[in-house]
Amino acid sequence: MDNTNNSQHISHKFDQEMEDLRNKVLKMGGLVEQQIGGAIEALQSVNAIGAEEIILRDHKVNALEVIIDEACTQILARRQPAASDLRMVVAVIKTITDLERIGDEAEKIAKMALNIAEEDAGFNSRYSGISHLGNHVHKMVHDVLDAYARQDVDAAIKVVRADDKADVEYQDLIRLLITFMMEDPRRISEVLDVIWAARALERIGDHAKNIGEYVIYLVKGKDVRHLDLDEVEKIFSLDN
Amino acid sequence: MKNWFNSGTPWIWLNAGAISIALVAVFGLLFLILIRGMSHFWPANVEAFYYQNAENSLTVIAEIIESETVPADTVRDIDIKEGNITRYLVKTGNRDLLGSDFRWLYDIDLVRYEQPDNVMVLERIEWGNFYGYLNSVYEYDTKVSNEGNLWSEFESRLKRSADIRQQILDLEQGEIGAINYQLERLRLKERRLIIDNELSDSALNKITEKRKALKVEYAGLLKQTQVLYRDINRDSIRATVMDGKVVSIPLEKIVKAWQPNKFTLIEKLNFYVSSLWSFIVENPREANTEGGIFPAIFGTVMMVILMAILVTPFGVIAAVYLREYARQGVVIRLIRIAVNNLAGVPSIVYGVFGLGFFVYFLGGNIDSLFYPEAQPAPTFGTPGLLWSSLTLALLTLPVVIVATEEGLSRIPVSLREGSLGLGATKVETLWLVVLPMASPAIMTGLILAVARAAGEVAPLMLVGVVKLAPDLPLDGNFPFLHLDRKFMHLGFHIYDVGFQSPNVEAARPLVYATSFLLVVVIVGLNLTAINLRNKLREKYRALDN
Amino acid sequence: MSEAITTKIDSALFTANESEEDTEICMDVNNLSLYYGEAQALKDINFKLKKNKVTAFIGPSGCGKSTLLRCFNRMNDLVDSVKVEGEIILDNENIYAPGVDVTSLRQRVGMVFQKPNPFPMSIFENVAYGLRLQGFKKRRLLEEKVEWALKGAALWDEVKDRLDESALGMSGGQQQRLVIARAIAIEPEIILLDEPASALDPISTLKIEELIYELKSNYTILIVTHNMQQAARVSDETAFMYMGEMIEFGNTNTIFTNPAKKQTEDYITGRYG
Repeated sequence: MDNTNNSQHISHKFDQEMEDLRNKVLKMGGLVEQQIGGAIEALQSVNAIGAEEIILRDHKVNALEVIIDEACTQILARRQPAASDLRMVVAVIKTITDLERIGDEAEKIAKMALNIAEEDAGFNSRYSGISHLGNHVHKMVHDVLDAYARQDVDAAIKVVRADDKADVEYQDLIRLLITFMMEDPRRISEVLDVIWAARALERIGDHAKNIGEYVIYLVKGKDVRHLDLDEVEKIFSLDN
Repeated sequence: MKNWFNSGTPWIWLNAGAISIALVAVFGLLFLILIRGMSHFWPANVEAFYYQNAENSLTVIAEIIESETVPADTVRDIDIKEGNITRYLVKTGNRDLLGSDFRWLYDIDLVRYEQPDNVMVLERIEWGNFYGYLNSVYEYDTKVSNEGNLWSEFESRLKRSADIRQQILDLEQGEIGAINYQLERLRLKERRLIIDNELSDSALNKITEKRKALKVEYAGLLKQTQVLYRDINRDSIRATVMDGKVVSIPLEKIVKAWQPNKFTLIEKLNFYVSSLWSFIVENPREANTEGGIFPAIFGTVMMVILMAILVTPFGVIAAVYLREYARQGVVIRLIRIAVNNLAGVPSIVYGVFGLGFFVYFLGGNIDSLFYPEAQPAPTFGTPGLLWSSLTLALLTLPVVIVATEEGLSRIPVSLREGSLGLGATKVETLWLVVLPMASPAIMTGLILAVARAAGEVAPLMLVGVVKLAPDLPLDGNFPFLHLDRKFMHLGFHIYDVGFQSPNVEAARPLVYATSFLLVVVIVGLNLTAINLRNKLREKYRALDN
Repeated sequence: MSEAITTKIDSALFTANESEEDTEICMDVNNLSLYYGEAQALKDINFKLKKNKVTAFIGPSGCGKSTLLRCFNRMNDLVDSVKVEGEIILDNENIYAPGVDVTSLRQRVGMVFQKPNPFPMSIFENVAYGLRLQGFKKRRLLEEKVEWALKGAALWDEVKDRLDESALGMSGGQQQRLVIARAIAIEPEIILLDEPASALDPISTLKIEELIYELKSNYTILIVTHNMQQAARVSDETAFMYMGEMIEFGNTNTIFTNPAKKQTEDYITGRYG
């Protein structure tokens, strides 16, 4: 059964408000996605100017969070949404928190990129692992926003699963970077920066996973956090 | 013009006009009967007209009733044919001497007219008013008055005779009446026993003994009255009539005496109020043209109250059945139409029905079943109070049914459900919640019924009202309320006084006065009912919130 | 997290959503259908009413929720053309079985209506009405019961000094609580509330809702309401009805966050129509 509800409310104003909310979240998502892309790009190309741009742009993400939060509060107060509408608003409130965190993490990565750029002009190809992790996480964020936009549970589950791979890649990368530090202690501070960036990417993956779970809650009405995914899928397939 | 028409103003004027006409009609009517009726009791001044021409002179003492100026040639019984002439309709009284109470006077040969101070008016038991001058007061054949104490002596002796007359009346109507009633009952009891073949010697002895005792008592009372009659015959007066003749009038025959030309305004008012009061509380005399109308007021009120007591349960039960229990369908609709049409049947038809069904059929059967001892004299088989009330109850039944049904239909369903929801049965709900709530509507029906019943005369003439009923339907003799008695009614009284009396001219003010009292009685009954209804309404105010 | 614990949480959150604890069943409605003449107003209703719970009926106007409510004390009997099929089991007895004493049923199943309908009597007599019908005559006993009922309806403190005044002089909210007091005075097992707050202002409404919450421990309560927020606030179980059918019946939390049926969803999110 498809629980996503696209039919119109009797109150068109309410429809508009919900649509507006959705669009704002997607806009925020787009902005955050752009931030991640930019941060990873700045890290890879050791682009100090690009990194600064990212840092400066973070306030936009924060501002959007405040605006969307306000809109959610107003809908709760004035419309008393129920069922799918209620889940939508609750999911949005949680989603934007995670999106804002993602934005913060992207800012952190940009700061690391700036550090690296100040210390050393060239980005060592040894750190290509982080590009890989970055691309993976970037794709996760992209996919989860896509799933959110289309209210696609399957896509959301895929994102949740993809977080495992991000965790594995992160572990691998950390191990590699520790090796680098042991090999060349002079580069420890530089590698530490990279580790921080990697850590930020891993956190972004976690947030993307959270958002994926919200999408599942939004559509299915079940809170799947802290649950076994296979079990969840089985129940959903039974539902259908 | 068109704008003015569309603005609605003409309609407002039209409505206001209609209302004004209605108001003017109502108040005009009331005002007319008030003035015509109530002025009768005012002690008008008495005029003395002095006529003088070549041959003889004439004095007329009379009250002016009305005066008008007319062209002389329109007046037939005089010779003058030119110019205008003023004529007076005057009340000369002294019917026993002059043959009639009223006459026309003309201003031909009229020397003067004045209001002599010492003119005296007497209201007499018979022959209407007396106008003249008091000469002297006699006790038996002895003159007891002199110039100084003439009027005061007369008044004090008049008061004495009035007291004695009241005593005689009390004795005759009260104690002697009661004895007669008991004797009649004894006679009926005896006959009853004879009819039932149960007359034993002991019972007969008992009856005879009782009868003897009553007869002894009666003889004693009779003696008392004889003494009183002798006492009342003691005094008389000598009075001069307008033509100079001196007549002797026993005080026994005088009800009231006054000298209107000596009255101050206060005294006149006083006199007015007291005569109005005696009109209301006294019995009629002289074929209803004199005295009061108390029995008629009493009979009217009594009949209306009985009617209300009879019609309310019938009407309410019928309405409750129609509205609450009957299955609404063709039959019920037909019944409703029939009930509504009953309201439109002319009242005399009810009278005929009442006479045929109630009086002859029901009453006749009741008599032969329960009152065989009184035969052939009918008890209930003759027009009477009960049948009148029943006939009028029938007449007003549709009004009560319709009003009650209306009231029942207005009680919110939620209240009935509230009661039923607490486990009440339908009867309990009706009795405890619905009927109390409907009581204002029932009262409204009753008000309409009373208004209609109090004004009906036609059917009553067939089923119980008489010109003169010696006994009130309510008295001190068991069973106190005598439903079989005939009674007097204000409406019929008006008809009787106005059209059936030997002295129509003299009685005309009484017609107005009685009409006015009838209106007052109806308004009074209605106001009582309306007051009661408003109280109920306040108590059972519908839940409009 | 161990496997065992995960499974436990799983079952708690998924499978047992509608039956947290085993509560006693108070009434059992089986295949109930109701006809007004030819028109079918209730279509094959089945559900079990839990004891000491508040069950709310929601649904658009004319969906049959009031009709259903009135089935429980056979108030529909008052309408001539009504025909009822199926059964409602109360204490192992079908209340629609022939020979059932309707008045004693109505004493067991009290009802409160949409508009406050106090009788035109004093406050005391209103509450004592049902008791008098049951034959209570002793003034002392009546006084005790009336006080108890008024306290139960949270009205005692407001009216204890004017018990002899007319009930019609009270405010709407007080009248409705008086009517509830009147209903609980005869100690029913079940109280039916037919839109009890729809004619009241918000504060009076909240007082009634608070009262419903308090009454829950002693009575099984059924409430019909147009106000979905009210149903969400006061009820434990919610039934959504549409066109004479019971579309969904379940835990109020579930109905208001994640209803199973699209019709329910559409109605409670304001998409109906």
